[in-house]
Amino acid sequence: MDVIKVNDFQKSFGAKVVHTGVTFKVKEGECLGLIGGSGCGKSLILRSLIGLEKPDAGSIEIDGVDITNMSEEDLVDVRKKAAYVFQGGALFDSMNVYENLAYPLREHTKLGEKEISKRIDDMLQEFGLEGNQKIFPANLSGGMQKRLGLARAIIIGPKIVLYDEPTAGLDPFNTKKIQDMILRLKTKGVTSILVTHDMPSAFAVCDRIAMLKNGKIVAEGTRAQIDSSHGGLLHDFINGDEVSGGK
Amino acid sequence: MTAVAISFGKFIVDLMHLAGGTALLIRRSIRESLYRPHYLRLIIDQCYQIGFRSMGLVFATALSTGMVMALQFGYGLEKFGGKLYVPKLVALSIIRELGPVFTSLMLAARVGAGIASEIGSMTVTQQIDAIRALGTSPIKTIVVPRIIATTFCLPLLTIMANTVGIFGGMIVSVTELGMDSSFFIQKVAYTVTMQDYMIGMFKTLVFGFVIAVSSCYFGMTASAGTRGVGIATTRAVVTSSIIIVMSDFFLTKLFWILIKWTS
Repeated sequence: MDVIKVNDFQKSFGAKVVHTGVTFKVKEGECLGLIGGSGCGKSLILRSLIGLEKPDAGSIEIDGVDITNMSEEDLVDVRKKAAYVFQGGALFDSMNVYENLAYPLREHTKLGEKEISKRIDDMLQEFGLEGNQKIFPANLSGGMQKRLGLARAIIIGPKIVLYDEPTAGLDPFNTKKIQDMILRLKTKGVTSILVTHDMPSAFAVCDRIAMLKNGKIVAEGTRAQIDSSHGGLLHDFINGDEVSGGK
Repeated sequence: MTAVAISFGKFIVDLMHLAGGTALLIRRSIRESLYRPHYLRLIIDQCYQIGFRSMGLVFATALSTGMVMALQFGYGLEKFGGKLYVPKLVALSIIRELGPVFTSLMLAARVGAGIASEIGSMTVTQQIDAIRALGTSPIKTIVVPRIIATTFCLPLLTIMANTVGIFGGMIVSVTELGMDSSFFIQKVAYTVTMQDYMIGMFKTLVFGFVIAVSSCYFGMTASAGTRGVGIATTRAVVTSSIIIVMSDFFLTKLFWILIKWTS
């Protein structure tokens, strides 16, 4: 079953055309890697999948529901199902680690404070962040912020997770930790899209890869499929020969 | 000439954006504040930040205003033997105009700048997007508590400013002008009516709403990083201050028309 369906997605900002007709699908439990040059609009697609941006034309379906023209109020249910992991974490800097993690639980569950505390402790343990409950995000390292952002996104158990460059700027150790987390979620049946420039991570966790260029998906499939049908497209991208995917 | 026309055109477009944007923000804030969940804790927290923490600034401004006015009126009227009118002049000026307007301008500077820069920073660091992405509303959690707190706290701060301002005037009248404190209090009590007080309070309700809405609007629409936050903050303070100063006349006029009409 297709959990995410994007059909003929088009988006412009004034005279700048970003997407001219992006179409793709993601099956339940699958992880799709979305790659392309900087500024080609990968994050824009991801943002549109939870209604943070509206397409100019085309449609988006999440778990069988057309969200294209949904109001903010109606999108709440979609956003409970689909979590977004921001590139910079987007942690609430006025709240400490505990409060950041408690926020979605207090908003969307009926858990008591004891259960919330237990859930947060488990989550911090799982993400290697134990003992940091009272620390504010500004005092955490980049890797810890990324892990905390991921933890906050998945703490209410979403069905879909959208990762926006979760490993960008991380050392190999933290990159591996994030990869392991994504794989662990995959084994639980979570459907996901990974926007990244980090090709080893994409190859490690994605079932399929879609390449965005000139406002469209120009190649889609497994690594082997893309290599065989698009003669060296991925190879060129990885080696920097295909640097400009933007329009 | 063309450049002037283009600048004027841009100014008009910006003005329309501001009017339309704030109207939409007000509509969404009213609509969302009617439905659960209500964030009472956030409103109380904002009342503390906006109201309680502004008390020092308002106190100092009101005290010095009252003292300076008493001094100026005292020395000015002394030549004509009109020193006895100082309590009346100080009390009426403060309660009808200076208390509400100065307090509002102080709050526009302190609170307006604070709200716009805080929300602006949240916007450019994607924290507002994160609130939306987590299935909650930034209007409910960020905007509405600030609007309610500012609109509620400004009249209370004005009551304090009026009292402190008159007290400042009394200190100067007693120490510098040789007036008796009981005479001063008696004159103030005899002069000031509930109507005078109500005009000031009514205006501060409007001013508080204006400060909060414009600051939230500029914060929510901040872009282009830290420079954008700075621009949003400046615009919020300037816009609030201009609206306060300009609308003061019309609100006062409106209130007097209402009073005449009802009496």
